[in-house]
Amino acid sequence: MASGSDRVRFNVGGKIFETTATILANAGRQSMLGSLLDEFWKPRQPAGGGEYFIDRNPACFAVLLDLLRTGELHVPPNIPERLLYREALFYGLLDHVRAARWGPFDGNLLRPAASVPGRAPGDGTAIRAGPDGGCCVAHGSMVHVYDWMLEEHRPISLDYQQVNDVGYLDAQSIVVTARERLGRGEGGMGLFSSSTGELRHRFRVAHDDQVKSFTAGALSFSNSDYKIFASCKGRCNEYGIGVWDHDTGLQVDFFYEPTGCLLGDADKLQWLDGSNCLMVATLFPRTDNCFIGLLDFREKSVVWSWSDARITSSLDDKKVVHAIAMEDGRSVCVVNQYEDLGFMDLRSNAGGVRWSSRSKLMNRKVPEEESCYPKLAAHGGQLFSSMNDSISVFCGPERVLTSTLRSTYGGSICDFSIGGDRLFALHSDENVFDVWETPPSPIF
Amino acid sequence: MSAQKKRNFKIEAFKHRVEVDPKYAEKTWKILEHAIHEIYNHNASGLSFEELYRNAYNMVLHKYGEKLYSGLVTTMTWHLKEIAKSIEAAQGGLFLEELNRKWGDHNKALQMIRDILMYMDRTFVPSNHKTPVHELGLNLWRDNIIHSHKIQTRLLDTLLDLIHRERKGEVINRGLMRNITKMLMDLGSSVYQEDFERPFLEVSASFYSGESQQFIECCDCGDYLKKAERRLNEEMERVSHYLDAKSEAKITSVVEKEMIANHMQRLVHMENSGLVNMLVDDKYEDLSRMYNLFRRVPEGFSTIRDVMTSHLRETGKQLVIDPDRLRDPVDFVQRLLDMKDKHDKIINVAFNNDKTFQNALNSSFEYFINLNNRSPEFISLYVDDKLRKGLKGVTEEDVEVVLDKVMMLFRYLQEKDVFEKYYKQHLAKRLLSGKTVSDDAERSMIVKLKTECGYQFTSKLEGMFTDMRTSQDTMQGFYASQYSEMGDGPTLAVQVLTTGSWPTQPSAPCNLPAEILSVCEKFRAYYLGTHTGRRLTWQTNMGTADIKATFGKGQKHELNVSTYQMCVLMLFNSADCSSYKEIEQATEIPASDLKRCLQSLACVKGKNVLRKEPMSKDIAEDDAFYFNDKFTSKFIKVKIGTVVAQKESEPEKHETRQRVEEDRKPQIEAAIVRIMKSRRVLDHNSIVTEVTTQLQSRFLPNPVVIKKRIESLIEREFLERDKADRKLYRYLA
Repeated sequence: MASGSDRVRFNVGGKIFETTATILANAGRQSMLGSLLDEFWKPRQPAGGGEYFIDRNPACFAVLLDLLRTGELHVPPNIPERLLYREALFYGLLDHVRAARWGPFDGNLLRPAASVPGRAPGDGTAIRAGPDGGCCVAHGSMVHVYDWMLEEHRPISLDYQQVNDVGYLDAQSIVVTARERLGRGEGGMGLFSSSTGELRHRFRVAHDDQVKSFTAGALSFSNSDYKIFASCKGRCNEYGIGVWDHDTGLQVDFFYEPTGCLLGDADKLQWLDGSNCLMVATLFPRTDNCFIGLLDFREKSVVWSWSDARITSSLDDKKVVHAIAMEDGRSVCVVNQYEDLGFMDLRSNAGGVRWSSRSKLMNRKVPEEESCYPKLAAHGGQLFSSMNDSISVFCGPERVLTSTLRSTYGGSICDFSIGGDRLFALHSDENVFDVWETPPSPIF
Repeated sequence: MSAQKKRNFKIEAFKHRVEVDPKYAEKTWKILEHAIHEIYNHNASGLSFEELYRNAYNMVLHKYGEKLYSGLVTTMTWHLKEIAKSIEAAQGGLFLEELNRKWGDHNKALQMIRDILMYMDRTFVPSNHKTPVHELGLNLWRDNIIHSHKIQTRLLDTLLDLIHRERKGEVINRGLMRNITKMLMDLGSSVYQEDFERPFLEVSASFYSGESQQFIECCDCGDYLKKAERRLNEEMERVSHYLDAKSEAKITSVVEKEMIANHMQRLVHMENSGLVNMLVDDKYEDLSRMYNLFRRVPEGFSTIRDVMTSHLRETGKQLVIDPDRLRDPVDFVQRLLDMKDKHDKIINVAFNNDKTFQNALNSSFEYFINLNNRSPEFISLYVDDKLRKGLKGVTEEDVEVVLDKVMMLFRYLQEKDVFEKYYKQHLAKRLLSGKTVSDDAERSMIVKLKTECGYQFTSKLEGMFTDMRTSQDTMQGFYASQYSEMGDGPTLAVQVLTTGSWPTQPSAPCNLPAEILSVCEKFRAYYLGTHTGRRLTWQTNMGTADIKATFGKGQKHELNVSTYQMCVLMLFNSADCSSYKEIEQATEIPASDLKRCLQSLACVKGKNVLRKEPMSKDIAEDDAFYFNDKFTSKFIKVKIGTVVAQKESEPEKHETRQRVEEDRKPQIEAAIVRIMKSRRVLDHNSIVTEVTTQLQSRFLPNPVVIKKRIESLIEREFLERDKADRKLYRYLA
């Protein structure tokens, strides 16, 4: 339309904008602005003096056009974020906004971005980060779902049973594990839509070809062979790890608990892609004796295991309260009630825990009465551990403490999770959760 | 105050809830529906994208997403049904073109509809678990067009017919085919597979099954393979032009099965043109084609290999047991080598140097070479021939080539020790008669044997070379010391041979002529003077002599003769006539040698320096011999060979074999002792297997012989039988 050049004129809600087709091409074919200039629609001349009329908010259009021009998002204080998001959704530019909203994750650059108050009664159980920046929080029998704009969606519950664990299968689907309800076949494990909260699939467990109700505990997903793992407790000592297929939702396997290995009560499951094994950790205070093992489902064998059955005796001893397999798959990192970090080598069965002496240097604090046990997470080569009201960030092969994330409100952190380039920390006192994100790269 | 006036104030609820015009949704949908019609009618130029987008947006925003979505499904379905009618109506060949055109239209329309409904696609569809617009459009197309019963079979028949026509040589519109198959693939791999690929493969199978039957009846093997190859390439080309790449493996496997696997045996064994004929006639191209085609089917290689192996074994067997061939050992070995070369080349050129084929070739050779127990002797004779004269004027590299080939045959031999025996004999003859052409070639052969069989195999052969060299030095020393006294006497060349290194047969020395004897005594004195503690024995049966003779008309000739012949001829210096008995008495040459020697002096035409009475071919005890005055020759030097059977005669052969067997005994015993020493206790069968593996680089020991050796060792108390288990043997340290 613009003579000779690729200039494009818009009249958005009465305000004239001029830009080029090249800039608009940044929006992509999958957006309204991209389609507008596609050759399918192009032959038609825009009405009213060579400009496209769009009956939308001009101020937001300005922000979004600037985003297309520079790749950066600058929202004037007079525009509520919600308004901007709505307009972005209209133009099909919401993904662009999200990508520009915060930078790639780095534990040492995190800033508190938001603090979302909860209204659920009781303590939070778990918080999980979604792959696209959203999160879900489990409180008692409810799971509250927030998208990346921190808009709350319909809460999820599985027959109003106590939720044990939650996890994002993908941005659209959340898996919830819950306690069974005796006699009614309720509880267990279900797949929900994250946007509408509706139950889409209920996972079944069959023993000897008979479907039985069960209590599902910890969850893990393997993205390499599309499987879902959950620790399961049936009523007839049918303890073990159930395995389901991502796509069909059908049970494909069950690893029955061998004697000496606590699987059905596990606190933490983690699939290790490199070794095709599942790490199972059953820890204090759920059990007096901690057990950590690696399961090989192909051979139905426990290929590596560790237990403190003969090591600890009194309550003051170091107890492993959380464990994660490191990203290289070669070691397991554990933490005790005093926030001492320890490591175990997965390549040899004989080793024990090598406790690092960090906390001794730090004047070990006796845990407060109302504190939560530490939790661990690993992401992008960095190790995170929560203790009281702060999260410590460790970097490098020597696990040097590099940052501490602390928020003054909400009391101690009972769970935290990293995903979608964000860190979510759930506090125990007020059921508030904090969102930490890396700001976009500096201008220069 | 009237009651009427009294008014109860009451707060009423708002009667007007803010509601969208109930007809709003209907109106908006009409606009969008109209737009979809216009798009399908190629009349989209009057549409405003922004307006349509906004309308669709508003419908979703006001929770009319479901209405919008179901309206879309209805409208699109209606259009597709119309399209189906127009496709059904297309005549004959226009059918595919119409389908293709409509498919293009639908795709374009789908894109535009998706643009308009983008907001719905982004928000309503994922949260309500609907099929996205694009996929929906494809599914509707599949259900209403491709799976409409009037089109489904027609489409399949048309496609298969076109392919059939192309197979028959017609030219078809490949671009159109490509678009149609692409459409099926776009609709999902299951659509492509179910609606096209599976029937296509079935039809192809029956087509090729029929065609291959027809071909095999009227073509020879080579032509058939050519046709099969062409068909295979055609199918691959077809896939690359207009089918899914994943179909390639499937269709080729159909062709392979129908054209090759099902007829493999018949092809290979085809009369006058099968594999054997190809091998015989060196049809590299056909063989290579067969290899490349058969490699594609299971058991293809093993079929070729089996036939080749049995052919090789058969021809090889004929070669090695044919009595005609056995007359000339050199020719015999040359034929083996030619056969090997021929098949090596076939494997190299046609069979891609396939290891398994090489192995089959090797095992076949090993099989038939060992069918004839004279093979070791013949191979040694072949080398002997080559090293005597065969390699004259041949470059060093070529010598190496010949020797390498011989070594290859050598590797096939099971009785390597027999070869060693013969080789030693032949080498000894070559060395002593000075017949070796090239020292380098000799040594090179020794090195090859050494690398093949180890140091012990060749140590004696090397000893022979050392003897030759030291003898030369000794002779120089001898002449240097005797220089003054030598005068005019005969020149003596002595080779001092170490006993044991040489295959000498102890034979009584003959009486040497006095002239020679004196020189010999001088040498003996010299040698024993320089080397103490040694004993010299003259091996008169192995020497040669050059003597000058003057015949009747004063012709002078130099005669090159053996030591025995020299002794006989020297007798005629003093007498013109001598009887057999006299000669035998004077020389004391063993009778058989003497006869042979006289035969060569008197009975060979052109070399008959003696005359025998009566004239006959054989020597009798009462014959008389005369100096042949009339002897003439155009050469000054006359070489008088001994009449020797170059090949071994039957008794000699027998003798050699016996010696070999004798030599094997200690070797087997040594092996048994070695094994028992390390294992202490072992059962009979294990001993036999281990002994066999230990010795097979030299020969294949006979289990019966091994058993005998074990018994002998038990007798000599090296071993004992286990008292509890009689099958076990125990080593006695």
